Amino acid sequence: MWDVIEAALDAARLTGATYADARVVSTRQQTVSVADERLDAAETSDSTGIGVRVIADGSWGFASSSGPDLTAAVRVARDAVAIARAGSRVSGTPVRLAPVEAYRDSWQGLCARDPFDVPLEAKIDLLLAADTALRSESAVKITRATMGFVSVHTFFGSSVGSRIEQQHTESGAGVVAYSVSEGEVLSRSYPNSHGGNWLQGGYEVIEGFDLLGNAPRVSEEAAALLTAAPCPSGTTSLIIDGSQLGLQVHESVGHPTELDRVLGDEAAFAGTSFLGLDDLGRLRYGSDHVSITADATVPSSIGSFGFDDEGVPGQRDFLVTDGLLTGFLSSRESALSIGRTSNGCMRADGWNRIPLIRMTTVSLEPGTWSLPDLIADTEDGLYIETNNSWSIDDKRLNFQFACEIGWEVKNGQKTRMIKNPNYTGITPHFWGSCDAVCSAEHWQVWGLPNCGKGEPIQIAHVAHGAAPARFRNVQVGVGR
Amino acid sequence: MSLLNAEDARTLAARVATIVSADEAEVVVVSKESALTRFADNRIHQNVSECDTQISIRAVLGAQTGSAATNRLDEDALRACATAAVDAARVSPADPDFRGLPAQTDLRHRVGAMRTPETFGAEQRADTVRSVVEQSRIRGLHAAGGVSSSVETVAVSNSHGVDAGMTVMSVRATVLSSGDGAGTGWASYFGSSSSGLDAIALGDEAATLALRTSSPQDLAPGDYTVVLAPEAVADIVDFLGYMGFSARAVAEGRSFMSGRIGERIVSDAITISDDAFDAHSCGLTFDFEGQPKTTVPLIDSGIAIGPVTDSYWAARTNTVNTGHALPAPNAIGPLPLDLAMAPGDATLDALIASVQRGVYVTRFHYVNVEDPIPVTLTGMTRDGTFLIENGTLTSPLKNLRFTQSAIEALGTVHGVTAQRRPFQTMLGCAIVPGLLLGRWTFTGQTE
Repeated sequence: MWDVIEAALDAARLTGATYADARVVSTRQQTVSVADERLDAAETSDSTGIGVRVIADGSWGFASSSGPDLTAAVRVARDAVAIARAGSRVSGTPVRLAPVEAYRDSWQGLCARDPFDVPLEAKIDLLLAADTALRSESAVKITRATMGFVSVHTFFGSSVGSRIEQQHTESGAGVVAYSVSEGEVLSRSYPNSHGGNWLQGGYEVIEGFDLLGNAPRVSEEAAALLTAAPCPSGTTSLIIDGSQLGLQVHESVGHPTELDRVLGDEAAFAGTSFLGLDDLGRLRYGSDHVSITADATVPSSIGSFGFDDEGVPGQRDFLVTDGLLTGFLSSRESALSIGRTSNGCMRADGWNRIPLIRMTTVSLEPGTWSLPDLIADTEDGLYIETNNSWSIDDKRLNFQFACEIGWEVKNGQKTRMIKNPNYTGITPHFWGSCDAVCSAEHWQVWGLPNCGKGEPIQIAHVAHGAAPARFRNVQVGVGR
Repeated sequence: MSLLNAEDARTLAARVATIVSADEAEVVVVSKESALTRFADNRIHQNVSECDTQISIRAVLGAQTGSAATNRLDEDALRACATAAVDAARVSPADPDFRGLPAQTDLRHRVGAMRTPETFGAEQRADTVRSVVEQSRIRGLHAAGGVSSSVETVAVSNSHGVDAGMTVMSVRATVLSSGDGAGTGWASYFGSSSSGLDAIALGDEAATLALRTSSPQDLAPGDYTVVLAPEAVADIVDFLGYMGFSARAVAEGRSFMSGRIGERIVSDAITISDDAFDAHSCGLTFDFEGQPKTTVPLIDSGIAIGPVTDSYWAARTNTVNTGHALPAPNAIGPLPLDLAMAPGDATLDALIASVQRGVYVTRFHYVNVEDPIPVTLTGMTRDGTFLIENGTLTSPLKNLRFTQSAIEALGTVHGVTAQRRPFQTMLGCAIVPGLLLGRWTFTGQTE
């Protein structure tokens, strides 16, 4: 594929591009899903193409096509330059990029057992068995068991001189049971909601989840939710489990620290950020207990890579240090606005998309508490698990999350189960109310393979490490 | 690779169907060419295009099915894809409710839907952006948004003679205007061509709204009468479609229509159908099984009529196939992609004038479902939220959070506008009017 990359870069240069990068990306996917003891889907798919991004006349242009041969490479490069020139008719300051070294390197993610070599019937059998176990409770009327695999092979070249080849495989799976009664549908998932958990790795990831072993508990909890108490309304102490806290980090720290949002580039679609450039090093994002990192080097995380799609090495950076805003997620272009070089967050979700600033593994760093100690230390509050719904405003300030399940905490004890717990808050106030974070023993990476951003919409695979944490004076039971 | 026209796509689909060694075979060809010019801070900052053609194969062995897809069109790749689909079918458990792939049925087309797509190139998009942006620039405001076009050819062929193909086009433009000391204002366009896109008017609408929303005020949480502009209504209708208008959702008991077909579920002012033949629709007039879409009444004068189906769910629920299949394999079930809410007889100004005290909403942001059967939604208002006092828009308001059952809210309809507008939605498109609702619960606001 290097000849195709070279042809694209040459064509871009000869057509007048002052910068160019080209990516040939081949993606292979498999989805297997079971519903109500029947096979819902068994599909493999592949997609290959080339995307060329250029700067010409001071403006960006990007063109892409399937069928990445030499002819397509030249045509796409020329199209990208023509598009850039058209865009320069409504341009501002010419695009400038922070410097990056030229790398000639390769990177491969961890994968012990290639999931595409595992027979399809073994996958179907596992899901059907898990699905049957999910139906052990009669109140459970709807069941789903899914697994998926993605393998990505990328060749990247840039006019800076980089030539980088990367390969990785991701595996994910999950089960969900729905209990249904008149006017009410309640879900319980494992290992996470919205398709389960995803990690970089092969079939060993699926085996590690033990879907079959966890399905009966999931079924029991789904059934129990039907008779659980509704979420009380008011202000209370809230202990949030790691999976939900991962999504809280995602929505209220990850997205607002994306520098393209801060600069207004996503204003019309997903929105901007409550953060400004001047907040760097000044704004109290949270309490002293809150430190948040962006780390593209976490083993087995779907937020990890060797180089981003601008050829910048994956790296670990602090976004929030002991409660203080200390960093943004950046690109080569946006990093100039804060006088830094890129911290390597530009990723595209395929050959036909431009790289955007995306989260890597954005994590709440672990604290010192054990979860039993944290619950024992809480006189009156709620402990909640597993996301059910999420929403946040266009500046990433006002959020509202709902979870699948919760328990009241009274005098240091987990007591009665509650259904449909939800909570709302304002981002810096909420993080400022954090008074305890559990330890590394409870810390886990949660893969999130459905982060939507940009137009045309791109779905990024990102991740979040989190352990349970406690927040004071949180409004719960909203609209209940 | 370049965009395939409908005839070439049908020919390709039919040829691939013949190389699938199975009892039955279905091939879907989707060929797409799209481009988008995005702008922010009054300058173009992103300008992209793509072209792709994907072949999807569904192989059937008895009641066992398997699927595979590829975007490589060489003979070896197509044969490998066919083999992968058959191999998947061979190891898949039989589904006793699968009745086989559907047969050929006569298709009908939307008037004007088969015309040759217009060219809307990078320079035309840039000129459109310039006209839009200028309306903000002259007022000292900043414009952000996008101008995009998409041309898509879909063809379906199967071993029972299904042979469908058509090309559809859509054009979308959005603009968010904002500025120091101003609020934010929004305007958008969506249609099957650029002929209805008035870039200057679009830019003016957003900029005017931005100036009008400066210094937004607080509003206490509570129940309010609301006037929803059509774009806000589109979000509600979209979620109704996703959560409740599928035969699968109804059969599984997770729809607001489950067990309530024939009952009044919302106000008698509400009539919703799925209608791919509406003149404003941009969608296909057949589904991804090559079956003709029918115009399906979903809610008629507040009465739940029934959901949309595909061949599988029609057989499983013993109803007719309405032609709303998604591409196989489909773990979601049939969905309505061309939703239309019937108009009323009011104007938006008249609805506002009838409100003593309430809230006007231009559009919603980041809406999600908290409770599926009542379709309890939470989300924010955005880019033009106003207090209504004595029939007039008075103070602009900070963006508000709502937590509200859509079904419950649609039971309090006091007015529907005669004018409807088409919008692109997460499902497809929706053609909707503005609404006056008697009760809508705001549960918070942003800072």
